[in-house]
Amino acid sequence: MQTDLSPAFAHLQATTRQILPLPEPAWIDFAEIWQPFEARRKVVLTAEGTTEKYLYFVLEGVQRAYSLHDDGREATLVFTYPYSFSGVADSFLLQQPSRYFLETLTPSAFLRTTFQQLDDLMLKHHALERMIRLALAHTLAGVLARQIELQSFTAAQRFRALMRRSPHILQLVPHKYLASYLGLDPTNFSKFLGTIRL
Amino acid sequence: MYQQKKKVMPHTAQFLESLHRETETLLQKAIGEWQMLPPEVLSAQPAPTQWSAAQCLEHLNIYGRYYLPAMEKAIQKASQNGTVPAREFHSGWLGSYFTNLMLPKPDGKLKSTMKAPKNAVPAAHPDARAMLAEFIDQQETMLQLLHAAAAVNLNQVRIPISIMPWLRLKLGDTFSFVIAHIERHVLQAERAMAVAKQPVSPL
Repeated sequence: MQTDLSPAFAHLQATTRQILPLPEPAWIDFAEIWQPFEARRKVVLTAEGTTEKYLYFVLEGVQRAYSLHDDGREATLVFTYPYSFSGVADSFLLQQPSRYFLETLTPSAFLRTTFQQLDDLMLKHHALERMIRLALAHTLAGVLARQIELQSFTAAQRFRALMRRSPHILQLVPHKYLASYLGLDPTNFSKFLGTIRL
Repeated sequence: MYQQKKKVMPHTAQFLESLHRETETLLQKAIGEWQMLPPEVLSAQPAPTQWSAAQCLEHLNIYGRYYLPAMEKAIQKASQNGTVPAREFHSGWLGSYFTNLMLPKPDGKLKSTMKAPKNAVPAAHPDARAMLAEFIDQQETMLQLLHAAAAVNLNQVRIPISIMPWLRLKLGDTFSFVIAHIERHVLQAERAMAVAKQPVSPL
């Protein structure tokens, strides 16, 4: 899939620059620590109970994090897409076992790096540590915004919010994952989908 | 009926890879196109005697409910018993026969019409959305089984046939047969959807 990696690094640079432009020496070191990686559809990248080894930068495909309840129910926590970071963030940063799974929902391509490599570079380049902190702040803001949606939005509002934010996802992943993300049962999800169909 | 032919035996990895590709293609169609159709299109019968897309999917789901868990159990058992994957997969005569029976001709038409066994006949009006969701679920499971199957011997592991459990197909043949059966009815479902999508002519 990804043979020539220069477009991949151009995307990585564009994404990081949006968060915080890195001085040249920091960017050169940062670009050194990534390896290409591919996974097919429905491959578990990180299992519950294992420690996240990688930070991913998504080049292709959709992934999801989900927690598995004792009774077999799954709760979809978040989706990741190109060109953004992926991985079990808390397990990665704290290097402790993950409480949930990360899997691919479509054939996916990534750049990825290890905790050790990133940690070493963050100690070396203050700007890089600052960029990662800002990236995490955006992530935290997103998580809290979603928390508000889950707790105070009606089902219809949650559905519409997803359609505004990521309308393309309807054609990319099985709808049961979207229903699970929104906390809807599949029948209700279909009902809402019917209301927006042309 | 079945003629003995000299065949090139595919490497196990290539064999599984091509089935994986076929299943991935089907899934992309089901997720990217069928999920977006109004349920009426999936539920429309081209003619009173012909199945709707939803009925085709229910028919496939009925088989999937038997074969997928049966294959999963057999793969698990073989893994526990220390199976060693074979370099090549050798299709058995019975497996080739069943698979060939299912496969469409190069022009996409079916070779023969068949009658579904009584327990695999779909309901008159199945829930289209539920049938499609289950179908997608099953194809995701299929991909995972194809992946897991790379670690076991496709020639040695055997699966009882649903309608004749005393007959046991090689695991590799079971994959070929079940996926060919899916492709057969997906073609049929697509024809039903194409008819349903045509604009109704004014009287």
